[in-house]
Amino acid sequence: MPAEELPVPPDPADALAAVVALRRLAERLEDAAVEQAMRAGWSWPDVAEALGVTRQAVHKKHAKRLIAAGVTLRRRR
Amino acid sequence: MSAIDHYINTIMEQGAAEAGEDGSAAIEAHHLLLAIAAHEGTAPHRLLTGAGLGRREIRDALDREFEHSLAAVGVSPSSFPLPAPAPDPGRRPKPGASAGLALERALTACGGKKRDLRPAHLLLGVLTAGIGTVPRALALAGADRAALIARTQESLAGGDW
Repeated sequence: MPAEELPVPPDPADALAAVVALRRLAERLEDAAVEQAMRAGWSWPDVAEALGVTRQAVHKKHAKRLIAAGVTLRRRR
Repeated sequence: MSAIDHYINTIMEQGAAEAGEDGSAAIEAHHLLLAIAAHEGTAPHRLLTGAGLGRREIRDALDREFEHSLAAVGVSPSSFPLPAPAPDPGRRPKPGASAGLALERALTACGGKKRDLRPAHLLLGVLTAGIGTVPRALALAGADRAALIARTQESLAGGDW
């Protein structure tokens, strides 16, 4: 999409609220996407590399939740 | 522990549960509002339901605000058809900035003395934020925030718990 066609909220309140909502959506999307990848047999290092974070960070953030959800996790390399 | 301490603890615990349901790491002011609306037998609950704002209606209003705010930058949550992530039973959401401000405003509204705090002060603390998710959600739901603030202040003046 050309830059001039990108939607830009005219009101700063709308733009700031969009930032808040996008952060929330990104968090939800990360939880869902990491879970989907791990259920599909991805490894922690591969998920970390795809997200551009360290494997320690992704493991710390998601491992407990996925274990509690009964997801079979591949061992860390 | 005093009655107001019990009430605040209950609201914070319920707010944490609401945040957890949202997948949020922080308890925000809108989670407190949901918790306040869910707690029956108090003036804030009566004030909110009297304005047509039960917990369900507030949840719907918050969902609309989320979609509306995303739409402003051309994003739709339904564009990402991933299944909902499993909840994290171990996540312990901590009070976020907006919840902290709501508590500060509640304390200011009762003259800065915690012993004078009542549940309606907490509602007032949430409602008097003019910026953020709560006022936007209430506006989108067609709720009259100013009238609700006025009724909350009347309730406090009348000594309601």
